[in-house]
Amino acid sequence: MEEIFSALARAMAFGTPILLAALGEVVVERAGVVNLGVEGMMAVGALAAFAAAQTSGNPFLGVVAGVLAGGIAASAHAFVSVNLRANQFVSGLALTMLGLGLSGLLGNKYVGAPLEHPLAETGFTWAAVVLSIVIWLVLYFTRTGLVVRSVGENPAAADALGLEVYLVRYGATIFGGMMAGLAGAFLSLAYRPSWSDGMTSGLGWIAVALTIFVAWESIRAVFGAFFFGLLYHLAFRLQGRLPSEMLLALPYLLVIVVLTLAALRRRQGNAPEGLGLPYERGTR
Amino acid sequence: MKRWLFIAAVLANLGFAQTEKLKACFIYVGPVGDYGWTNAHDEGRRLAEKALPWLETKFVESVPEAQAGPFIDKFVQEGCKVIFTTSFGFMDGTLEAAKKYPDVIFAHASGFKRAPNMATYMADFYQIYYLNGLVAGALTKSGKIGYVGAFPIPELKRHISAFALGIREVNPQASVNVKWINAWYDPAKASEATEALIAEGNDIFAFTEDSPSVIQTAAKKKLMSFSHYSPMHKFAPDYVVSGQLVHWDKIYIDFLTKVHNGTYTNKNLEKVDYWWLLGEKAVEMGGQAGMPINPKYIPALKAKMVKDRLTGKTVSVYDLVMSRWKAMAQAKPTFDPFTGPIKDRNGVVRVAPGKIMSIGELNSMEWAAPGIVGAWPNEPK
Repeated sequence: MEEIFSALARAMAFGTPILLAALGEVVVERAGVVNLGVEGMMAVGALAAFAAAQTSGNPFLGVVAGVLAGGIAASAHAFVSVNLRANQFVSGLALTMLGLGLSGLLGNKYVGAPLEHPLAETGFTWAAVVLSIVIWLVLYFTRTGLVVRSVGENPAAADALGLEVYLVRYGATIFGGMMAGLAGAFLSLAYRPSWSDGMTSGLGWIAVALTIFVAWESIRAVFGAFFFGLLYHLAFRLQGRLPSEMLLALPYLLVIVVLTLAALRRRQGNAPEGLGLPYERGTR
Repeated sequence: MKRWLFIAAVLANLGFAQTEKLKACFIYVGPVGDYGWTNAHDEGRRLAEKALPWLETKFVESVPEAQAGPFIDKFVQEGCKVIFTTSFGFMDGTLEAAKKYPDVIFAHASGFKRAPNMATYMADFYQIYYLNGLVAGALTKSGKIGYVGAFPIPELKRHISAFALGIREVNPQASVNVKWINAWYDPAKASEATEALIAEGNDIFAFTEDSPSVIQTAAKKKLMSFSHYSPMHKFAPDYVVSGQLVHWDKIYIDFLTKVHNGTYTNKNLEKVDYWWLLGEKAVEMGGQAGMPINPKYIPALKAKMVKDRLTGKTVSVYDLVMSRWKAMAQAKPTFDPFTGPIKDRNGVVRVAPGKIMSIGELNSMEWAAPGIVGAWPNEPK
């Protein structure tokens, strides 16, 4: 029994950064924008959080800095994909590379320093769970949510109704970046408490896949993230009984299976109709 | 006017003669900020440059293992006279380059292929792991010691086995529980593997991974750990007991000095293989330089009495560690952890009584010492 509880506790701790980032991506994609830059925004957020917490001695200031840094990084993607109507996939990939590279470069002097006042993991976990419920409520029961969803489903119709398509997409993208930054802050302030280059180690990508895996539903993302966390933890707990390579590959295998199934269907389930398509006023 | 020109020409010439330095270039597999292997090599490079006024160095970081060739070509074009390649995976690329550029001197870390103009070098930790094992065996309360390993290769198997031999020498019932993460650098996996080991009741940790994640994760639960490769004491000053440190500069300075004074040339490196240990001061025990054991834990180690299997006398673990350390830290060590008789964990005799394992045997070691628990790929039956 105790074994099960400790495994669940670890699953939640490890699932937290995935959940936070995936919640952000759910909102972004609901507004019709794909942002593959999650990994990069997470890295930038982790560095900003760590740098601020270390210099000020206040970890909460670190959280704020991480969130802001993620938001700023995302606004670059918003500008390129909303205003310039560039290919969102390319822009997102570029953001990932830029974020990882920039954080590695700027973070050089922080490598190796331990954080004096780390935060508890559980605080972030509960915040993530609460946020997933709030996002679900906002998306389905408020006017704001309706606006976001309509912009994602049919930007032309939304525009015709007088909704600010660009503004909504900007807002959603920046919100997504802030969530990725928060996930990064969790990594550098609570999970590890320290900074090192490349510490996001692919979590951002799992979050992107999770968004599709849970069909753009924030509540399902909670279970999805903790499921991924559990697989990750079990890869170490069951070592010796099962080949660890297999368990470590499982989350990624699952991602491939899910994406294949989604692609086989003609219409991608719940996917917002306008997902990934740049909107230009006056064109169809 | 002419005279001035003459003086200027002489001065310029002097200046030129002074700047003609030996150019040594380094190819790294990871980023210099990795807090592990590459960082340690870069530290060695910087110390060598400081110590040798006639030395000029250059480096390139994060080179994929299969792509050493183009970077070597570039270094040769830029006039590098000595090229160090610092990862096992660069071995074949370095050998090819050595044949292509017979006038350049190459040195490859941790490999076993050499040529007239290509030497090999390694600073190994197995003696220190044995000493760390003595300490861990004395300090564990649960009798279970956790090890987070990068890849199941001979180098790690040698280190974990030496660690286990030390642990079992002072604590015959204790076990070393190993989890592999299949990565040299992955803080998330290292933390999670540590959490899994904690959940299984391990109370002291050692590891091979290029970040302090294991130390930090253990310290959060107030558990002890051993630092690895770089000085990591500062990450948890109360919980890092000891560890392993490397001083690549010792090898780099020795090698480059011998190149500079003509002892080593591009014709005579076929047999030059540095295998430097405690005796050569290429490695050091401790979580930071000059502190072999965290003072906080010395009283506990002095209080724990065991029988020295070599002398038959009852001594404290602290004295045992120090006497073993002294025996190994001389130019000609009088003690080696891998002295037979040693059986593996399945009861097969691996080192005959009185025999000491050779460098070749240590480099290809696949068996596990008694007390090791966990998956062990390629374990001989």
